[in-house]
Amino acid sequence: MIVFVTPALLMYAAFTAYPVIRTFWNSVHIIRPGGRTEFVGLDHYVELFANDDIFFRAVTNTLTWAGVAPLIDVGVGLLLALCLYARVPFARIFRVAWFTPVLISYVVVAILWMWIYNYDWGVANMLLRSVGLEDWQQTWIGHPDTALWSLIFAHAWKWAGFNMVVCLAAIHALPREVLEAAELDNCGWFHKLVFIIVPMIRPTLVNLLILAFIGKMRVFDLVWIMTGGGPMWSTETVSTYVYKRAFEWNTFDLGYPSTVAAIWFIVVLCCVLGLTWLFRQRDRLEY
Amino acid sequence: MRQARSWMAAAALAGATLTGAAVPAQAERELTLWSHWADHETKVAFVEKAARELESRHADVTVKITWYQKNPLYAALQSALRAGQGPDIFYLDPDRTEYIDNGLLLALDDLVNWDNVYGWARSAWQHDGKTWGFPLEASTVEWYYNRDLLAQLGYEVGPPHYQLSQTDFQALVEKATSEGVTPIVQGVGDRPYPGAYVTHELLLKKLGTDDYGKLLNGGLSFKDPRVMEVFGYVEGLVKAGAYPKSFSTLKLGESHYYFHTRPGGVVFPIGSWYTSRAFNPPDKGGQPEDFPLGMMNGPAMDGGACNACKTNNVAGSFVVNAGTANPDLAGEFLNILATPEYGNLWLSTVLVQTGIKADTSTITGPYRDYFKTLEAVNESAEYFFGTPLQFFKGKCRETFEQVMNTGFPAGLVDSETATDMMNDGCFTG
Repeated sequence: MIVFVTPALLMYAAFTAYPVIRTFWNSVHIIRPGGRTEFVGLDHYVELFANDDIFFRAVTNTLTWAGVAPLIDVGVGLLLALCLYARVPFARIFRVAWFTPVLISYVVVAILWMWIYNYDWGVANMLLRSVGLEDWQQTWIGHPDTALWSLIFAHAWKWAGFNMVVCLAAIHALPREVLEAAELDNCGWFHKLVFIIVPMIRPTLVNLLILAFIGKMRVFDLVWIMTGGGPMWSTETVSTYVYKRAFEWNTFDLGYPSTVAAIWFIVVLCCVLGLTWLFRQRDRLEY
Repeated sequence: MRQARSWMAAAALAGATLTGAAVPAQAERELTLWSHWADHETKVAFVEKAARELESRHADVTVKITWYQKNPLYAALQSALRAGQGPDIFYLDPDRTEYIDNGLLLALDDLVNWDNVYGWARSAWQHDGKTWGFPLEASTVEWYYNRDLLAQLGYEVGPPHYQLSQTDFQALVEKATSEGVTPIVQGVGDRPYPGAYVTHELLLKKLGTDDYGKLLNGGLSFKDPRVMEVFGYVEGLVKAGAYPKSFSTLKLGESHYYFHTRPGGVVFPIGSWYTSRAFNPPDKGGQPEDFPLGMMNGPAMDGGACNACKTNNVAGSFVVNAGTANPDLAGEFLNILATPEYGNLWLSTVLVQTGIKADTSTITGPYRDYFKTLEAVNESAEYFFGTPLQFFKGKCRETFEQVMNTGFPAGLVDSETATDMMNDGCFTG
């Protein structure tokens, strides 16, 4: 038994447990190249909570993203799944087309959407110009009012297909007799969706929401490539801020970025535990 | 007899083998170099030439160069050097003093022949009495313009100062906007500094070198009336539509194309390394062959303490890893560069200034006139050495990038808020 478990445990210890423990250790030190460390106690934590307004902007942006985007991702995914379940024309083609963004790397997605959002020749503004809405043209990712939402939209475009596939599998797994009974009772599509399908696939939706929430709480790639956290920190997320502090702050110190990462680890952990508890309790109340 | 011959042959073979083994094989040495400029053909050719020269001097030496874009290079360096790895030589900008503070660089005072390097260029890399970098690339902040467009708008600049007054410059911006032409081409999509060119050059002219130096060192408030006046002036330019609509997302390479090809703009303030992209063939992003390139100095500020002032800075440099196993080879490589021949080669092929002593009169060919104009525009210039990024660190640097480089010129914050934020990040009192 131990022989079989040991390799997996070693991998877990080396690549998951140790980095987490080390991050907490780093967070109370100044870490410089060459193994030079200096214990600073809780100084980084005090600095973070007392003086770091950029961190709080990053937290606000990340929580906004994590609060809104999972609902969009899962909502759109569910709608697309229902379209496919209803066998819309060209369903097979749509299934491939809607799932394809999931397979594309963040770098490509980011570049693609930077082109779409380009002020001068991007598709978004060209469409507006073509229908006579020149005044609605925006520097989509260049203005604090629109930048974060533009990124959230691009991110949702990438992940809706994943949610679609999972929802479609869940819908197909529903007992046919329940849906057929509803049809015999002249239950319309909308009522069937609201009162039968959604409640029955609720565990799947909850899992998707929690997975999406966790993903959004550590979103980095798309933001880093498209806006770098700007303009004026309007798209700064906690992950981009950690990276900036670690690699772009003209200091080699890894202590302070580790403090940010440690705090955020605790926040994400608490949120996930809280959400899981909340949804589980509801299940008990309903049944 | 046959057996005796066999024994003799075997003995001879063994002897030859032993003799061969006794002579140690010359060990291969590899000098590694990581550099920015992956897409700068002339700079790549220049550095490769020096590498081949070093290899030709030592049969056992191979110079392995890895070319990067700047941001990926810095990310790779941070990871490698933290782990005690990294190349023997690497590219670095002088504002990255954290490499010095953390003991990651080798002092070059005794490795390099400094006789052929300008003193002002060397001084950009001098900290704590030692020299840490080899100043290959140098540049002044220049205000390039489209001569035809400027003439169409009814303006001209010429000797001796090559500059407009601040009132005329404001009027130029307003007129260009009214005629649907972008007055000042600039984009900050992938760089933390171009958006601040206009503001910091005008601050330098208004304050003069001493007070401007204090401002950058945190000793002068951004709420100083003269500073506020400059921010107010630039705010007026922004409100008049000075910058492209796509300012926040326009990348550096795209802004070059925007200026000289499509859709075009009047003025393009940028480091004099403009040429390293613009003088490429048009199909490689260079300016059109008949492009009417002009150069002016930034507008003279009313009551400016030094209207002839402009920024001169050392940019792309090579440094040596403190942990290198080949310090002598690294020094020899840099000394190949530190010669008038290589200085002239840099000037004539890269077409950007250099910290290596060079003679512009040696330049021939189609770009000779460009260098004459560059000299003329700089003839009466007084230089301030270093860009704001070479002074700002941590939160101050981040505030500079987000506010002075992006938010303020994009019109996202007014001058009052911008100076408040800069003070909060940079002013130490």
